[in-house]
Order: sequence, then C-alpha cells, then structure tokens
Amino acid sequence: MLLNAPAMERLVDAFRQLPGIGRRSAERLALHILTAPAEEAAALGDAIAQARRRITTCSRCCDLTEGDPCAVCADPARDHSLICVVERPAGAIAIEKGRGFRGGYHVLHGALNPLEGIGPDELTVEHLLHRLDHESVEEVIIATNATAEGEATAHYLGKLITAKGVAVSRIAHGVPMGGGLEYADDATLSHALDGRIRL
Amino acid sequence: MRVTRLACKGFRCLKDLSFDPGPGVNILSGDNAQGKTSVLEALLFLVTARSHRTTKEGDLAAHGAHAFDISGAFERHGRPLAMEIHWRRGQKRFKVNGAVQDRVSDILGKVHVVFFSPEDVELVRGAGAVRRRFLDMELSQLSGRYLHALQQYRQVLRQRNELLKAPRPDESLLAIWEQQLARHGAIITAERRRFAETLRGLARDAYQRIARREDFEMRYAANIDADEPEAFLEALEANRARDIKRGASTRGPHRDELDFEIGGQPARNFGSQGQQRTAALALKLAELELVRQIGGEYPVLMLDDVLSELDARRSRQLAGALPAGVQCILTATDPGGGRSVLPVEHTAFVIEDGCLERK
Ligand SMILES: Nc1ncnc2c1ncn2[C@@H]1O[C@H](COP(=O)(O)OP(=O)(O)O)[C@@H](O)[C@H]1O
Ligand SMILES: [Mg+2]
Ligand SMILES: [Zn+2]
Repeated sequence: MLLNAPAMERLVDAFRQLPGIGRRSAERLALHILTAPAEEAAALGDAIAQARRRITTCSRCCDLTEGDPCAVCADPARDHSLICVVERPAGAIAIEKGRGFRGGYHVLHGALNPLEGIGPDELTVEHLLHRLDHESVEEVIIATNATAEGEATAHYLGKLITAKGVAVSRIAHGVPMGGGLEYADDATLSHALDGRIRL
Repeated sequence: MRVTRLACKGFRCLKDLSFDPGPGVNILSGDNAQGKTSVLEALLFLVTARSHRTTKEGDLAAHGAHAFDISGAFERHGRPLAMEIHWRRGQKRFKVNGAVQDRVSDILGKVHVVFFSPEDVELVRGAGAVRRRFLDMELSQLSGRYLHALQQYRQVLRQRNELLKAPRPDESLLAIWEQQLARHGAIITAERRRFAETLRGLARDAYQRIARREDFEMRYAANIDADEPEAFLEALEANRARDIKRGASTRGPHRDELDFEIGGQPARNFGSQGQQRTAALALKLAELELVRQIGGEYPVLMLDDVLSELDARRSRQLAGALPAGVQCILTATDPGGGRSVLPVEHTAFVIEDGCLERK
C-alpha cells in the first residue's frame, strides 16, 4: 500500500507545487509515473533536468531561452525599435502565437504586488531602462495583464519610459477583464495590439 | 419574475425539498427550527451564490454531508429559466438552462430576489459597513460595471494599504495605485449616488405606506464627493500624508455612509425598535420597486419572520403595501400561518422537521 509512503508523499507534494494541480491530480500523476515503465519515468526526470540546465534567461529581453541571446533578439528581420513588455514568458508566447507582432520583447517576470512583496526591484525594470538608454528603441508597448497589478505596473513603467523620451502605449481592447494574457485567444490579442493607447 | 419550483438535496435540514410556490403570496408556516429560513436561504444561495447568515459554505451542507444541490425553475419575462448550483467540498458548479457557467458573475443578475429577515434591522441600527454591504449587494446585481469596479477597487486598496504599512512608504509607488483607486472609486461613487437618489423616493413612499405617519429620509454621504476620476484623485493626493501617518487608506468609498432619518432624527440613534424595523423593511420594498423600474418586472420577495417582529397594525399595513403582481414567500410561526394578520389570498405550506407540504 502506497498510502502515506514517504517517497510517494514527496512526489505528490512536488506535483502539487505546479500551477493548476490539486491534490487529486497530483496523486494521479504520481501513480501514473510509478506504474509506467521505468524508462518513461527516467525520461521525464531527464527532460526536466536537461531543460533546467539548458534554458536560461536572455541577457537582452529577460525571456526564457535555450541559447543567449534568444531567437527573437537575434533575428535581424525583426523590428528592434519596438519593444513589447509582458509580465511572464507565457505572455510573450501568447503574443508570438498571434503572429501579428514583429518587434522584440521584454519580460518583467511579474507585476507590482506589494501584498506579495514585489516592488520594482523584484522585476526587470532596471534592465528595461538600461535597454532604452543603449538600444535605439522608438516605442514601448506595455502588455501587462488587465488585473489591478498589471495596470499599476503599466502606469509605473509608463511614467519612467516617458521620462526617457520614448513613446509608450498600452494594449487596450479585448484583453479579458481581470484575466491573464496567456488565456486570451490569438484574434483577441492581435486586436489588443492594434488598439493600443498612448499613456 | 417568479419561481415555479425550488428543489434541493443535502441542504441544511431540508430533506429532498421540492417546493412549488404559487404566483402571489405564499406562506410557509411551522414551529421554530423546522427549516423555514433554510428554504429561503436555499433560494437565495441558488441565485446569488451567497447565504445571508453565513460565509462558511460548509455549514450549508447537511450535517455529516460534503455536498448539496439546489435547482430552481423560474419564469422571467414570461420565459422559462432553469438554474442549478452543485456544491462539492467547497467547489461550486453553476448551470443556467443546463449549460455550465464558469464564473459567479455569469449567474448574478439572472434571477433577482429581495430578501428581508429580522437581522436586516442592522441596516438601520448597525455600523456603516452593513449599509455599504447593502449598497454593494444591490448594485452588484444591477450593474456589471459596478461589480467590476468594486472588485478592482478592493484589490487596489489592499495593495495600497500594504505599501502604507512600510516604515517609510514610497510616495511615487503610492501614486501609482491612487490612479486606479480614483478610476474605480469614481465609478463606485457615481453609481451609489444614482442608486441612492432613486431609492430615496421609493423608500419614503414605502415607509409611509406601512407606518402611515412619520417621515423617513435617506441621504448618501460619499466620503470623497467626486464622480470624476480627476477630482477623486485630487482628494486622495491631498490626503496622502495623513494616510502615511495612519498607515492606512483613510478616505474613499470604503468609508461611505448612508444616513437615515425618521421624523428629522438620525434613525440609528433615536429610532425606536419598531421604527428601525419599518425603515429596514421600507428599504427592501423600495429595492423591489427599483428593480421593477430597471428590469421591467418585480423580483421575488422573501420575507422571513417579519410578522413576529411588527405590531398587528403595521403587519396589516405591510400586507396592504405589497404591490399587486409580486410573488412573495413569507415565513411565519403562528398557527394561523399569518392568516390572522394577512388578509390576502395566498398559498399555504407547512414545514415540519425539514419536510415541506402544501396545506
Ligand atoms: N447544516 C445543517 N444540517 C442539518 N441541520 C441543520 C444545519 N444547519 C442548521 N440546521 C438545523 O436546521 C434547523 C432549522 O433551521 P431554520 O431553517 O433556521 O429553521 P426555522 O427558520 O424554521 O426556525 C435547526 O434546528 C438547525 O439546528
Ligand atoms: Mg427562521
Ligand atoms: Zn531575448
């Protein structure tokens, strides 16, 4: 009987740390791994270890990447005078899937959130300002989530970026109210980027 | 609006309830602790996903159970509407006409009910928070814009208060959150003002109809008296130094008041028990009228134990004050099922030990 076996508990707890996984799903995943062929479980462990080792943050845009700079930053065909700021890598992926955007990105790795102890220093804000000083950026589009925290972050960045004499706008339409960017569909996001407003 | 059937399983002490109320006045009678209030509570929970007596939803499941189901059939603007709520160990699932709904906001406002219970006298007698909750509950059902502004406002307020707890708060960061407080706060204030203005006249009329004499007055006292974000922001900025000193946001709609007066005196301090109850009831009847004006039909009115709380004269006048065409579900403990004081045509039900029967 696996119930209460320490190794099983550890595995279940590890799965429960993952987003969207509750106790029951965690137990199902753990049981699957324990009953699957040994190679399958080893391959999963290996994939996780490899990915963690190879994937780092891009020294330019702070997005996750395998190889530095990332594919977007290294692509000469993209318009690097335009930067789209997102909270998380998932936001950049969502916009990229929309295929309408040809500029570069900047990933903040969060949003201002005093309740969780996250201020400007916990985000890649300094890094973004450094980019504005050293790259020829003409416009920044702020695509933080349409939550209270995302809006506050947009305001904060808007002021700093304007002070640097760079044009700044905020995606406005179509982003789901109170929702995360990664849940928006492609058409909605294209529309949101088109309808951006100046801050 | 009319409920044609209410059914539930595993809800409080109700045993497989199936309740088919009639179109006009329905009287549910029974001794104490037989389940009268629970029937009303089930209907309230079905259409608002909230109970009036607890925020601990686990208490709603029958003792020893971890799940309950409530379903209802309604007639809205002459068309049938089916609502279901399934509660399993803290998880809620909603269905409207058989289709699963993702969020509470998808079910709010589908069926409007007005609920009155003896504890509602706190609306008049209690602290400001009770009246703000009343405003929020009513407006959230009437306006999606209000609900969104309120949710955002509360979250932003929590964030700003957290910053204010720091030994030396960063003013430029405070200013960032104030922008949003102003935007959402102005919407909340404007909507509350409009709601209160309309409610005022209706509540005066209702009070007059029940009490026949005293003069009832209500006034919305906005803490920041501005309906535009710019003016709202100015007030917040002017108060920032004080907020920093106090370590909390001291101004905004979270400090709004609704002042009631009876015969020119503040009802909270000077009203008699009976006057306060009548005022609270008048507010609910005003809400009933307001919802009809906005939505085109009366909501379902639920009156829990009102008769035991009003004197005979006022009870009779209450019966006369119920508008024609409103569906009303009323509970009563007296054996006459309230008939003695409610000389109106009605459908009677008795409830005993959680079992309801048509009389
Ligand atoms: N979760 C529950 N499960 C079973 N019984 C409950 C539950 N919660 C309350 N009760 C009981 O239900 C009975 C009826 O309550 P209530 O509806 O308030 O009665 P009434 O309004 O007729 O006085 C009370 O005896 C109370 O103890
Ligand atoms: Mg009761
Ligand atoms: Zn990059």
